[in-house]
Amino acid sequence: MPSIESLNQIGLNHYLALSAIIFSFGMIGVLMRKNVIVMLMSIELMLNAVNLSFIAFSNFTANLNGQIMVFFVMTIAAAEAGVGLAIAVMIYKKFKEINIRYFEQLRG
Amino acid sequence: MMSLGPAMFYVFAAILVFFALSVIMSPNPVHSALYLVLTMISLAGVYFHLNAQFIAGVQLIVYAGAVMVLFVMVIMLFDIKQELRAFTKGLISGALKVASAAFVAGYLIGTFKDVSVGSQSASLAGNTDITKELALMLYSKYVLAFEVLGLLLLVVAVGAVAVSRVKGGTHAKH
Amino acid sequence: MGSDIFEVSVNFLKMIVIFLMMVQLVPLLVWVERRGSAFIQNRLGPNRVGPLGLMQLLADAVKFLTKEEFVPAKGYRFLFYTAPVIALIPAALAFGAIPLSAPIRVEAFEWLGRNWGPYTFAFQSYEIGIGIVFVLGASSLAAYALLLAGYGSNNKYSLFGALRASAQTISYELALGLSLVGVLLLFNSFQFSEIVAQQAGPMSFQFLGKQVTVPFLPNWGFFYQPLGAVLLFTAFFAESNRLPFDLPEAEGELVAGYHTEYGGFKMNMFYIGEYGHMMVASALMTTFYFGGYTIYPWLTQESVSSWFSQFTPTQASLLTALVLHLVFMAKVLLFLWIFVWVRWTLPRFRYDQLMDLGWKTMLPWALGNTIVTAIVILIMRTNWSGQ
Repeated sequence: MPSIESLNQIGLNHYLALSAIIFSFGMIGVLMRKNVIVMLMSIELMLNAVNLSFIAFSNFTANLNGQIMVFFVMTIAAAEAGVGLAIAVMIYKKFKEINIRYFEQLRG
Repeated sequence: MMSLGPAMFYVFAAILVFFALSVIMSPNPVHSALYLVLTMISLAGVYFHLNAQFIAGVQLIVYAGAVMVLFVMVIMLFDIKQELRAFTKGLISGALKVASAAFVAGYLIGTFKDVSVGSQSASLAGNTDITKELALMLYSKYVLAFEVLGLLLLVVAVGAVAVSRVKGGTHAKH
Repeated sequence: MGSDIFEVSVNFLKMIVIFLMMVQLVPLLVWVERRGSAFIQNRLGPNRVGPLGLMQLLADAVKFLTKEEFVPAKGYRFLFYTAPVIALIPAALAFGAIPLSAPIRVEAFEWLGRNWGPYTFAFQSYEIGIGIVFVLGASSLAAYALLLAGYGSNNKYSLFGALRASAQTISYELALGLSLVGVLLLFNSFQFSEIVAQQAGPMSFQFLGKQVTVPFLPNWGFFYQPLGAVLLFTAFFAESNRLPFDLPEAEGELVAGYHTEYGGFKMNMFYIGEYGHMMVASALMTTFYFGGYTIYPWLTQESVSSWFSQFTPTQASLLTALVLHLVFMAKVLLFLWIFVWVRWTLPRFRYDQLMDLGWKTMLPWALGNTIVTAIVILIMRTNWSGQ
């Protein structure tokens, strides 16, 4: 049982807990949604949660490596969004619907 | 600026959790995307208070200003309306999925409870020239990673164009 | 941040006043735009209401307020109402972060039986260490207003306009950001006040490691970065969706683009957003390339404050700030006039020409400008004589 003091003294743990909650939301989104674009957005949500934990670590340990990592994560996220959306556009052109189950038919 | 005070932190946390939940719960993809934009703007606010001002600005420019505009644009282009079946079928598998996500979150939080580096004394608050230091690190220690990322972006740009290419259009050769 | 009640209340007041100032400038700009267009096209323009037609603005406001409240039946009501509000926010946020004059220094004084320590109030809504990044981030959110308006109206023309607008905004943001890098390298700072301070003196730079001073020219960014200034100004035209880049609302093809379904005051909010963007653009041009609130030989902070030497230091500082603010606004109005002038002079681009200009012309030039600036700065600031 967390004491009142630990609720009032905002430290690294609080930020990490927040980040874990957002990460789990992103995970639920990826598992439960059928729309490819919403799944991509859920992945962005998970990446953002990880970024939050990086920034929190960086702040509370006075170490800037965490912020550099966030740069890299952002770049990868942008690249992933670009490719993911291109594939989503392809699926929509073929099947007039963006559903994850059409992915398996994208052969050749 | 140190980290947020308790009241502000809980307000921010509540906003973030609400927006993040709305992203995955809205049946209309446009609403999901807009909630995600709000999530990212709120995260930029949190970064700002965690002494990562430059990252907060980049978050606004890259995520909220470019990546999410792309998402919203694609969704609007397809004109996806309210989805009849936004979620996957199966009650038991759905419950299992939620339970597993909750387990992950609970496990992570349980682990974080023992993290003991969260002392306020060792925060970046005193450091005024964070952005400059960040740039120096990016271009000296991490320069190889930086170059590789540039290459990755080039490959991705070419790949995205190749995947979504259409015949004809205003730039057709004949 | 405010440490006592006086500082907090002054800062709060400052935010409101600067926002109101921005909003109040809009009707004036509309008048300038209409009279200016009439002047350019050899017409008369609005000249019936009040002297020179100046009261036309009030008449317009009354008209806007009394129009019918209209929402498309098949539209998304909430998004339809949010879009005009969001159109206002980015411009207001960005404008608040730009220093409009020299900071005001208030000496310690006694009031209501207690001592109030010396204060320094920056002449802007809030001062942010990474000013430029914040302004770019805030104004990159402007695309959402157009997207929401286009989607919320549930109208093909509106949607086309919104899609065009967002594609245009994303494309030109790249050129915009890159053309700024040169000036950032030059002044070595993200902070507006620092950039303005460096432009206050005579032109002075390092030539192969030796300090060279040109006493008759101000140290303005434009003299070092003319290409960057031109590219930035062009990109701002595209960002604020004005002619020759007003494809999102091209009336010949799209009726009125994203605001086809809007009328009355909601329409007016879009206008305020557009003019707000123009003001932010002009203020940024002034700050980066034309010395901010100073003009070197005659109107610097020192020379202006020497006019008011018979006043108390607090009064002198206040009056200096006001004079310098007028200088700043004069420069801003000059750029705003250029916006109007270009709008009524140049024809509209075709959409593929717009994209070609953005990606194949401005982006390479901005990249080249960045690289050349970096190399030249490196060569010039190295001490070659080895002492």
